[in-house]
Amino acid sequence: MISSDVIRGYNDTMILYMLLDGESYGYEISKNIRKLSEEKYIMKETTLYSAFTRLEKNGYIDSFYLDETFGKRRTYYRITPQGLAYYRTKCEEWQVTQEVINKFIKEL
Amino acid sequence: MDTIIGYLNNMFASLPRTEQMHKLKQELLGNMEEKYYELKHDGKSENEAVGIVISEFGNIDELVSELGIGEIHQEEKVAMLPELTELETDEFIAAKKRSGLLIGLGVGLIMVGAGLLILITSLAENGFMRSVLSEDAMSVMGIIFFLILLVPAIAMFIYSGLKLERFKYMESGFNLPHHLEAEIQHRQSGFAATYTLSLIMGVCLIVLSPIAVFVASAFGDDASSYGVVVLLAVVAVSVFLFVYYGNIRGAYQMLLKTGDFSTAKKEGEEDRVIGAVASIVWPLVTCGFLVSGLVFNMWHINWIVFPVTGILFGVFSSAYNLLKKKDAA
Repeated sequence: MISSDVIRGYNDTMILYMLLDGESYGYEISKNIRKLSEEKYIMKETTLYSAFTRLEKNGYIDSFYLDETFGKRRTYYRITPQGLAYYRTKCEEWQVTQEVINKFIKEL
Repeated sequence: MDTIIGYLNNMFASLPRTEQMHKLKQELLGNMEEKYYELKHDGKSENEAVGIVISEFGNIDELVSELGIGEIHQEEKVAMLPELTELETDEFIAAKKRSGLLIGLGVGLIMVGAGLLILITSLAENGFMRSVLSEDAMSVMGIIFFLILLVPAIAMFIYSGLKLERFKYMESGFNLPHHLEAEIQHRQSGFAATYTLSLIMGVCLIVLSPIAVFVASAFGDDASSYGVVVLLAVVAVSVFLFVYYGNIRGAYQMLLKTGDFSTAKKEGEEDRVIGAVASIVWPLVTCGFLVSGLVFNMWHINWIVFPVTGILFGVFSSAYNLLKKKDAA
């Protein structure tokens, strides 16, 4: 299990990645994150929704309603151009972070 | 699934009830629901599914800090309480009035039923209609009449409680706009005289009611049971007055008890409590009445349970109102 302290700064990045291929909704995003991480990371409900709130406040995503079959209404999210730019900087940041941290990692 | 809804409700219980919070809660619920059904679909048991969903909920504080809701102060809480509209207050007063009417009428029906039973029995004893019906047939008819009146009465008790369920949200406090407060105050002071009059009339009726029995017994022992019938009818009227006008008064008092919402909390319950007590006490009394009459043949004295219970019930509902007020103050 991954400690949530380490991953905290990248929850937003993961969500944005999930939205790169098009709009999605809460449960689908969390399900895909879990699948993609091979069940190693499960994003908590509250983490997911506080990220949505934060990302939307910063203009990185926007939300809209979509009626599903069976009359269920879901909030969908999609990435904005600012969100895409933010995603790119986060990716670059991670590259650097990774390089730096890797210098201190050694097989013992 | 109910466990999940309960869990989420608990999590949100201490948070302000804003539009944003409501939407967020619905979203979270939708998510958890979907996860739950998928887990169930994958063959997980009810307990497992609920356990997984709840363990993956996370920490509500995370959301709270993101939304920037810090500690909630008392004044803010008051400001966040729902504001009543004129429509709501009017409906509330009307509903209380109706519930008072129903409970009052219900009690009245039971007492009239008992009176009718006594009337028919004593008519039978005195040989009235003997050519058509036997004495036994008359008593049976009296009991049937009584039961026929009892059923709607109990239905009224229960129905009046249900009608007020709708205003349950008022128990957790509300804000009354100033213009409405002034208007209700005005209406309350207009009502005060009516209330006092009804109280005086009710008390006088109860005090005077035994006269009927005394007067009737002056015409002989047989006649005294007719006096009892009159007594029951008079007590029924006064209990109705207590319950009906007491309810209207209660409605005004509840509405004007604003600001200090924590004390207003349990106010709305009183009607439901009184209704609930009525729907238990009256059938019990009735059972006692019928059993003592049919089994022990105590018809001559057991009618006393109705005026006694009626008066006690009237006292109880007024005292309950008063005590609640005192507790709050």
